[in-house]
Amino acid sequence: MLWLLSLNSTIHGQEIDLEPVTDTYAIRNANIVQSPGRVISMGAVLIEEGVIKSVGKSINIPANAKIIEADSMYIYAGFIDGLSHIGLPKPKEKAIDRSQIKDPANPPNDLSGIQPERLASAMLGPKDKSVSDMRKIGFTTAQAVPHGLMLPGQGTLILLSGETPDQMVYRKETSMYAQLEGAPRRLYPNTVIGVMAKYRELYRQAVQSKDYLKKYNANPAGMVRPEQNFIEEAFYPVIEKKTPVTFRAESVLDIQRALTLKSDLGFDLMLGEVKQGWDVIDKIKASNAKVFLSLDLPEIKEEKQDSEKDEVSASKTESDLEKERLEKRKKEIIDLHYQQASTFKDKGLKFGFSTLEVKPKDIKKNLSKLLEYGMTESDLIAALTTHPAELLGLSTVMGTIDPGKMANLVVTDKPYFDEKSNIRYVIVDGNVQSYEVKKPKKKGTGKDAMPKGKWSYSADTPNGTVTGEIIITGEPDDYSGTISNSQTGQTTDLTEVSVGGGSLSLSFPFDIGGNNIQIQITAEIDGNTFEGNMSVGQLGSFEVEGQREPKN
Amino acid sequence: MKKNILTALLLLISVGLQAQEKGTLLIKNGTVLTITNGIKENSDVLIKDGKIQKIGTGLKAPSGADVIDAKGMYVMPGIIDAHSHIALSAINEATSPVTAEVSTGDAVNPLDIAIYRALAGGVTLSHAMHGSANAIGGQCETIKHRYGTVDPEELKMKGAPRTIKFALGENPTRVHGSGNGILPRTRMGVEEVFRNSFSEANEYMAGWNEYNAKKNQKSFKGVAPKYDLRLETLADILKGNIIIHCHSYRADEIYMLMQVCKDYGIKRLVFQHVNEGFKVAPELAEFGAMASVFSDWWAYKFEVYYSTAYNATILTENNVVTSINSDSRELIRHLYHEAAKTQKYGSLPNDKALSLITINPAKQLGIDDRVGSLEEGKEGDVAIFKNHPLSIYAVPMYTIVDGIVEFDRENDPADMRIYPNPEEQIDVTIAVSDSEYDRCMQDTEFLFNH
Repeated sequence: MLWLLSLNSTIHGQEIDLEPVTDTYAIRNANIVQSPGRVISMGAVLIEEGVIKSVGKSINIPANAKIIEADSMYIYAGFIDGLSHIGLPKPKEKAIDRSQIKDPANPPNDLSGIQPERLASAMLGPKDKSVSDMRKIGFTTAQAVPHGLMLPGQGTLILLSGETPDQMVYRKETSMYAQLEGAPRRLYPNTVIGVMAKYRELYRQAVQSKDYLKKYNANPAGMVRPEQNFIEEAFYPVIEKKTPVTFRAESVLDIQRALTLKSDLGFDLMLGEVKQGWDVIDKIKASNAKVFLSLDLPEIKEEKQDSEKDEVSASKTESDLEKERLEKRKKEIIDLHYQQASTFKDKGLKFGFSTLEVKPKDIKKNLSKLLEYGMTESDLIAALTTHPAELLGLSTVMGTIDPGKMANLVVTDKPYFDEKSNIRYVIVDGNVQSYEVKKPKKKGTGKDAMPKGKWSYSADTPNGTVTGEIIITGEPDDYSGTISNSQTGQTTDLTEVSVGGGSLSLSFPFDIGGNNIQIQITAEIDGNTFEGNMSVGQLGSFEVEGQREPKN
Repeated sequence: MKKNILTALLLLISVGLQAQEKGTLLIKNGTVLTITNGIKENSDVLIKDGKIQKIGTGLKAPSGADVIDAKGMYVMPGIIDAHSHIALSAINEATSPVTAEVSTGDAVNPLDIAIYRALAGGVTLSHAMHGSANAIGGQCETIKHRYGTVDPEELKMKGAPRTIKFALGENPTRVHGSGNGILPRTRMGVEEVFRNSFSEANEYMAGWNEYNAKKNQKSFKGVAPKYDLRLETLADILKGNIIIHCHSYRADEIYMLMQVCKDYGIKRLVFQHVNEGFKVAPELAEFGAMASVFSDWWAYKFEVYYSTAYNATILTENNVVTSINSDSRELIRHLYHEAAKTQKYGSLPNDKALSLITINPAKQLGIDDRVGSLEEGKEGDVAIFKNHPLSIYAVPMYTIVDGIVEFDRENDPADMRIYPNPEEQIDVTIAVSDSEYDRCMQDTEFLFNH
């Protein structure tokens, strides 16, 4: 634990608004959910140097402790994310220069996606928005894996706090991350059959070279020197069963393909981002694979009930009836996705959650969906805390609120799953981050928001995050302005700026490969921030958010 | 009796995991077309635990067994398609002229609705093949049409011999020669790819033999050949453990591959398409190579201009074991019509015409000891028709796999999908096109856009 303590003191100060005068905290008068079903009402938690010292109804609070008055708030153990890209920004897609590829059957490793030697721990960006986005909804720990194709690299276990990658990393290498994702077209291995064959070959080659290395190390005299091979070496901990392979396996077929590779080769398996596992639970159980279910759920588009239509149901056409039948089947399959977590629970299989695909802002909504479909609050807390701690081998230090555990805590003003609850504090490794409760938006005041000024924005696009500045000048009904783009380095005049109530609407032209596309931003302004969507023709619509820049 | 897939789905009961299901079933009073042992009028077929126990008259159903009254109907072995790409998530690993290491067994997709549609045409078994983009493509999977499961392993016919796809002519030369500027650019190059590959595999085997012979010697310090899954597979072909199924059209190339196989001691060889097979029928028979053909489909590219609907008959009359295949998710539903065309073009007798879609494809897949005819001890794969299967009025009524009724025309629900797409756009005014195209070249479309 010593290194943790020393590391702790260096983190302090960056994560909270003011330089702390102490690293001893006491949170009082709170409902403490120590673990699912184990609750202390109106108790206190004492934290010293990042470690939970004591928990109870009446505990001694030293004089140097900073008191956090959590008057009837709720404290949970920090949430643990089983598989994510937190802290690892998606790299920009590069155009492939095919003239440089001599043999498409044997492309360079960054194109084939065979890069198991890469370390997520060495690629972390502590300032990446995903870290603060996930922390502010209660996550304090995550397994983070690199973006990529077949073998993107080694996952790492991070704390959602810290200024540098070193400060974030709790465990450097957690698992070898794998996907059934082929190389770009015309490059080997391109399809799932190529990927699985290549996977088997690499694994067996690694077994072979590992055996040879062992013999060589025992008595190298007279033996040919084994060549250094970083790809094969990356498999060694997996072969020794020191680390598992984490397979991203969303569909019912991909889950079973990962299980096939496991049974062919014998490695320990974690299945992540599972979306369609309900029919293969017994098969998963038999394999002893550990499971992280996806928090990305399909959406049911609630259709408006047309009461008139119901009355004239007798006159429904054959195609109306066919549509109803198809909608019914679609709803049934969506329901199965929603019920997946409770089906796993009923079958007695412990699981955590993964967040490779879900947007942070949808997580609470989707957890509530699982509550509607058979999970209880305790089940969900277990799947967010104790179960992933167990599956990732962290139970001695994380997952519950008990003396000796790391001070990873979430404090909410109402029970977490209450629709109106707000997160007030997230404590990671003893660092306290506090959150203001957003005032409900005033509606119907009739007053238009003030868009004038300089805004910084960021948009999540398929090409990565685009940032830039929007400058709006002029007067109501006569606004104009410019927008800059970090990727192109260009600044473009806005062709339309309009405000209605709190809604801001902007549009501007954008050149994509010689085609001029009109981009439209619609967003809600809330004081000095805005949130909304950027729609880019047929390419779809992406989230955008902005912040007013202070006047110079 | 009917595996109540739909009921199960409607009740939202998961399909679940069953071991490969075996049924017990009595089919009574049918006209039994055994294929290998003549026609038995007014006879019964008893299937017990998935296997044909008895063919005779006045058979009693074991207690609890289901009974089908096939009076006035024709009972024949389940139809076998020796060339298909249904139930696969990936078909072509079109990125190298040789991809012997890949296997369509890794891409089996039990959710494919085409399986049920094939069942509706009496087809109980198909050869889920790799495509024809590469000179040496991937290994293929022989699957039984056990529809209603989500487990790919349940479709696989355990114990069926391994098979591999080869391809001659325009496809591999276009994909790799024209597409990437590498060998094979010409038909000569395709032969070179085969010879290089087999020679390399021979060296690889010799290397391992040498290593294995010496490795236990005390002073041994040597290095084993580096494990290579591609060469391992090619070595298995040379050892006779894998049947080659080669995409082919022209007679000169067909002859070429037989010469290559002779040079490397390879005996198990089946030609697919074989549109010019009629030109080299005696040579095929002499080699012992078999042929799987279309009934009357050609002229879809230059190398397939010279062909004839008499191909199957000429091959058959020259003692080449011949089958008629679909290579299509549509054609697979009426292979019985395709077989019947040999009666217009060549006047094949009924038993020989039906052999083209039953016992002969079974021989080509090395499974004729288990399926392909109605014989005691064989697996209970049966198709039952109203009207003779070679009649234009034939209607498939029941299709049975391992004694389980997988298709029943009287109980044939409209929506047999197992997992509908939760994100599908439902718009019934626009017909969804399940259009026909040569799936042999799936995943290679990009090659034709420049």
